[in-house]
Amino acid sequence: MQLYLPIAEMPIDPFLVIIMGATVGFLSGMFGVGGGFLMTPLLIFYGIPPAVAVGTEASQIVASSVSGVLAHLKRKTVDFQMGGFLVAGGAAGSLVGILIFRALLASGQVETLIAVCYVFFLGAVGALMLTESMRALFRTPAEKRRTHKRRSPAWMASLPFAMRFRASGLYISPIPPIVLGFFIGLLAAVMGVGGGFIMVPAMLYILNMPTNVVVGTSLFQIIFVTAITTVLHAAANQTVDIVLAMLLVLGGVIGAQLGVRAGVRLRGEHLRALLALLVLAVCARVLIGLAVPPASPFIVESAS
Amino acid sequence: MRAVAFAALLFASAPCAAAEIEIALTDDRVAVDTGFAGARLTLFGAISGIDDPASVDIISVISGPGGRFHVREMQKSNLIWTPGPRHVVDGAPGLYLTYSTRPIDDIAPLPLQADYRLDAEYLDFHIGREGAATDIGERHALFRSAFLSEAEALGLYHARVGGVAFKKGSLFTITARLPANTPVGAYDVAVYLFRHGELLGSDTAELAVNRVGMERRIYDLAHNRPVSYGLFCVALSLLAGWIASLAFRK
Repeated sequence: MQLYLPIAEMPIDPFLVIIMGATVGFLSGMFGVGGGFLMTPLLIFYGIPPAVAVGTEASQIVASSVSGVLAHLKRKTVDFQMGGFLVAGGAAGSLVGILIFRALLASGQVETLIAVCYVFFLGAVGALMLTESMRALFRTPAEKRRTHKRRSPAWMASLPFAMRFRASGLYISPIPPIVLGFFIGLLAAVMGVGGGFIMVPAMLYILNMPTNVVVGTSLFQIIFVTAITTVLHAAANQTVDIVLAMLLVLGGVIGAQLGVRAGVRLRGEHLRALLALLVLAVCARVLIGLAVPPASPFIVESAS
Repeated sequence: MRAVAFAALLFASAPCAAAEIEIALTDDRVAVDTGFAGARLTLFGAISGIDDPASVDIISVISGPGGRFHVREMQKSNLIWTPGPRHVVDGAPGLYLTYSTRPIDDIAPLPLQADYRLDAEYLDFHIGREGAATDIGERHALFRSAFLSEAEALGLYHARVGGVAFKKGSLFTITARLPANTPVGAYDVAVYLFRHGELLGSDTAELAVNRVGMERRIYDLAHNRPVSYGLFCVALSLLAGWIASLAFRK
């Protein structure tokens, strides 16, 4: 069976796409990540035009974040004040990202931008995660007991407009969260990711937020910023394929449920090491695509 | 339906003494809907004024709609391969398929192939660097042949020997296969009747490929009212996510 995608303007096998969604959903459920960094390259490898893959993935992330956001709202583990600044920065970052994306789409270099961003960020994050998880795996029990003392970093309090963030127990300026949100919004627009894989470590280690509000607040930011990004991609580039997005959501929600069940059987350090390897594998695959001489020295694109 | 088409053709062509060829399409509209995965196109034709139908050759050309393509040369910059500057192909058909009883070179002499554009080699189109007025000079031939071979690789251009089947006497059918990436627009379907390298007659028909149904509604909304479409996508995603969270709630 074949299904013709209205925006990507190509026929696809809907069952294969649902299975792709389920596979990425399984991995993201298992590792507790959004999965955009896996889905977007997978769609591109499948043959979806890169610009459509990025725009569509933004709307899929909106759908797959809903249940997480609802759960965290119920548990009251969202710092709305921090989230608000992150969303404000994220909206601005997404807008700038879309403008860059649009300019590169017009000049025909957007595929290269997407691929280079993937290699750079996945390579850096994957390497950091791998070294961190290796250190955790081979740490002695004595070292394990030593806990990291959390406190507001002084330099962030000394920036202008410093204020108290009650839910996070911090006294800092809103400028660092705005800058962080901006950067994540930029990535969301250009790479078709939620950005959790960068935001969660940044909230923990740079903003020094407590672990219990980090995931909820990052999901809160992701759902707003990917929703804004979806609208902007649709408006500026006409690259959101809702039929493709819905197929991916269908596979994704089923896969994620199974993934969460599989994830509880594995130790945290093992999970992180596996995730790091997966991130590096995707990075390597994108890099190979860029570095290997193309099969044909010319490409033909239809210009509408 | 078929019988009617045959009868109509026979009747129409009967009084003519000179050799003639006529065609009719069973369906002159091809609908691109959500289930579109390419389409089969059947042409019915009749030859008249010929004593021995086995001695003739038929070439059918399906071409259209005037599309715009970009050709780009892959370039190595530092360590990675990137597509080079766009070269705009102007005036080339978006789809160009030929079906013939024998290889076209065996049927038609080259001047006739050029006059009637029976081979992609003779298509009249121009390639120029995007945004630059200067001619690309001797690289034009390189880009031209690159475009033709890539269009063939994409399934948009091909020359098939076959697809033409003679039925009773002077009746024949041509079965064409439109690929899944068939561009929407207006098409020209032409048939040429040859004998011993001489063109005896020709006929044309028109074909329209249109988006329909759901496929069309989504495409139109996304392109005509992109902001509403974006908001619709977000609303649908939120709804889908919410339904999913209800479905899996413990």
